[in-house]
Amino acid sequence: MDDIDIDPNGEAGVGVRRSLTQSSNTARQLAVSFMPSRQLPYSTMRQRRCNSERNALLEEYSDATDSADRQADIIVRDMELDDRLMKNSPVSEERRREALRELPRGLTIKRHVRAKLSASVSLRSKRPISFWKRLKYRTSFAIKKLRDRLLNLVFSVELWYRSIRTIEGHFGSAVGTYFYFLRALFIMNVFLMLMVVAFVVIPQSLHDGHTNTTSAVREEGRFLDFISGKGMLEHSLLFYGHYHSGEIAAGGPLSYDMSFAYFFTMLSVCMVIFIILCYRTADSYRRNFIGAGGGARLVFASKVFCGWDCGVVSARAAASHAAGLYLEFKELLNEQDKNQVLMSSCGKLCRYLINAAVTTAVLAVILGLQYGLWKLLELESHAAHWELAVSITVALMVSLCPLVFDSVVRMEYYNPRTALYVTLGRTWLLDMSTLVLLFYFWANSAKHCWETRFGQEMYRLVLLDAFISLFVLPAIEFGRAFIYNLNYKTSPPEFNIAYNSLTLIYNQAVVWFGVMFSPLLVAAVAVKLLLLFYVKKECTMRACQPARKVWRAAQTQTVLYMLVTLSLFVTLFAVGSIFMRMSSQQCGPLQQYSRVVQVVTEGLLHLHQHPYASAALGFVTRPGVIGFLLTFLSVFVYYTRARAVAQASMVDILQRMVSLQAKDKEFLLGAITKVSNGEWLYSPKEDDEGPDSHTWKYLREVRKPSNSGFHFDASRLSHSFVDRPQSYVKENRSNSYYAERSKSQDDGDTDSSFSWKDSSNCLNRKGDENDHNLSQV
Amino acid sequence: MGQGKSQFTEEELQDYEDLTYFTKKEVLYAHQKFKALAPEKVGHNKNAKLPMAKILQYPELRVNPFRDRICKVFSSSNDGDCTFEDFLDMMSVFSEMAPKAVKAEHAFRIFDFDGDDMIGVSDLSEVIDRLCGTDQKLSDTERQQLVQNVLEEADLDDDGALSFAEFEHIIDKSSDFCQSFRIRL
Repeated sequence: MDDIDIDPNGEAGVGVRRSLTQSSNTARQLAVSFMPSRQLPYSTMRQRRCNSERNALLEEYSDATDSADRQADIIVRDMELDDRLMKNSPVSEERRREALRELPRGLTIKRHVRAKLSASVSLRSKRPISFWKRLKYRTSFAIKKLRDRLLNLVFSVELWYRSIRTIEGHFGSAVGTYFYFLRALFIMNVFLMLMVVAFVVIPQSLHDGHTNTTSAVREEGRFLDFISGKGMLEHSLLFYGHYHSGEIAAGGPLSYDMSFAYFFTMLSVCMVIFIILCYRTADSYRRNFIGAGGGARLVFASKVFCGWDCGVVSARAAASHAAGLYLEFKELLNEQDKNQVLMSSCGKLCRYLINAAVTTAVLAVILGLQYGLWKLLELESHAAHWELAVSITVALMVSLCPLVFDSVVRMEYYNPRTALYVTLGRTWLLDMSTLVLLFYFWANSAKHCWETRFGQEMYRLVLLDAFISLFVLPAIEFGRAFIYNLNYKTSPPEFNIAYNSLTLIYNQAVVWFGVMFSPLLVAAVAVKLLLLFYVKKECTMRACQPARKVWRAAQTQTVLYMLVTLSLFVTLFAVGSIFMRMSSQQCGPLQQYSRVVQVVTEGLLHLHQHPYASAALGFVTRPGVIGFLLTFLSVFVYYTRARAVAQASMVDILQRMVSLQAKDKEFLLGAITKVSNGEWLYSPKEDDEGPDSHTWKYLREVRKPSNSGFHFDASRLSHSFVDRPQSYVKENRSNSYYAERSKSQDDGDTDSSFSWKDSSNCLNRKGDENDHNLSQV
Repeated sequence: MGQGKSQFTEEELQDYEDLTYFTKKEVLYAHQKFKALAPEKVGHNKNAKLPMAKILQYPELRVNPFRDRICKVFSSSNDGDCTFEDFLDMMSVFSEMAPKAVKAEHAFRIFDFDGDDMIGVSDLSEVIDRLCGTDQKLSDTERQQLVQNVLEEADLDDDGALSFAEFEHIIDKSSDFCQSFRIRL
């Protein structure tokens, strides 16, 4: 374990420096530890780093035998200052629990603290608790228990936990996110399937068994029929056309309206999933984009501090991870050098033009493909399996185009992450436009029972997609791995997260479109995803190599969820705007309504009996009203955006202030140090006369316009510093100063170098530097 | 988990559940993992103190470039040796449920090699060196350049070192931190 031990010389050096600072800077330390920011309970709770010598107060305890007890005492004293924590109510108990969990100390101390805290709380509250309070307390306690139980349960039944963990260990958490995504989709589809089967398929099959009129024509099931969903399958539970319209006799006084069941099951399940997805996407967007955005971007710092993926287990993965980081650092530095070379505006323009041209070309290609597809659909020969040919074309199109887009994007000038998003966006556009086109074509085809035809189309697409992702892609990957094993010069197959996720998104989009017209499609997809997980797992573990490029997953995952949500939205929109207005009287569960939307208006609300209600509804759905609502929404969005911009500029101002305040603190602390060391070099009598005196210079410096501006800000915004008890100067920063000093003597612009003799000089420089900083920010 | 269960009373488990981000089952599972590091010793005394070398047998820690720092930060005796409670603490902080602030606090201590409460130039170059692994090394100038870049971005008060507040600011800004600073049980 030699290689991981800390260099003893380094530690000794620190020790020497430490003792040096301690002897010379006691006054300074005391001053720092009595600063208001250090006195706030919040800050002391967050900054208990026991091994620092800052806490001169703590120091004397730390070597005592019952140091844990003493330290706990100090922490408890801090916490007792916070009133919110100390009430005898469930809320503050929960707060106490949270605070204890957040305490960055060992469990022993936490336990001490908890015991003391609860003693102190019960001491404080002498009043008897009222009945309601007790009731409230009990309920919240019960809820908490229930939550804990649920969490317990979730841990023990978490699906594929170990498999995903193994994969993460060998390939890093980025590949893991694909599998989490797959799992989330699988669970969602299973939920969808359960609902659909329970409320739609089972009643219908009971009805079928009852009437026994279904399979009048017993055709021989042929293989091609199985693929194309025709023949025997056409009149089965699989498709829309088979479902009964109207009520199903349930044998008792109750009846079951199949039209209602079909329509509202689909609608409510889709809505529920849509809401969940929206919530989840928004949440993850807030966390990964908004929280991370704003202000300066910290490329280098976040690479350094968030670089290592702690989930990595295998030595091979660790080595490639380290190599990836090394390459990334090099690339970043190179890029910076390139940027410093200064890019001409002409070059920039050129890049923009190229990007725009390629984007236009890609859009044109997508449009062209759709046009071709439309023509192909219109062609429609009477060959036996013409539809199958169309479906194969579509499947090939959606599985090959991402690869093309992926290579196209390399010709453009995006940074890698944007390039990924651009590819994702283009592919998504292609997928969705294809599906919408198919839907539109079938809806307007005026064929008998086009709903079933469309359901068949989706069924074929799912089957073909399953075939491609379960057999073709793994075969290709294993083939590549085989070639790689024979000849090491070829590039090893890596797990292509973007492509694989895209196929999942496409797959899900097909499900959204298909579920209305082919209820059992969900079951097929659920089975497919189940198989896909194992296939992908084997494929990854046996054929793939850990990726050489570091792939950052958090934001990409958000984008993936966003795309799934968007495709569900597009589906709901397309089905809502096209299907609802049409009649579906040729077949299926909605035959009895002249327009689909009447399921709601007539079937459920009985609007023809309530003329006022229908008039109100007619008014609300008028274009004028909707236009007004949209305008209102736009205004609201604009307002929110304006606020966001204002806050961003405020953040900017605060950041500058932080830096200035820290310098002030440095300045004062430096002065205190000098004074406490008896180096009071400033004698007012000498310098009293003349405008050249230090006092004059000092005053002038303070009244500089730039500084006074910020003084004004400081007085106006001082409350924000109370809220943000972060200390920007530590008493021992002179440690680092000495360290710096020993390395570079030229850096004279720090507090300790300040002396009253050449204060004007120093202040001038500081002022210049401040101005410089401001212009930088 | 039959054997694991017998080593803890219900109160102890409740205690752990209250003080960490784990559920009871997860605590037991963590103990299994801990026991796997030194079956006899832990079987004898469930809260036995294992030397750092043993703790570093844990798969995720074995390949982690900051393994010794992690052990030292979480060890209650500050020498890298961990009892089960220290181990549980470590796993709890690295778990998915732990909030960003808690993770940041510990990450700061892990990266603060010389223990002066600031991440200075020497700490930063140590971090970078460890990240790049043993096979390849950045040249001195490259490393210095990198350190300078990090400081330029994140050192808000221009004192040549990152304080905890500045470090927290970095963590807040980077969305990948929670994902990378995570060890699944």
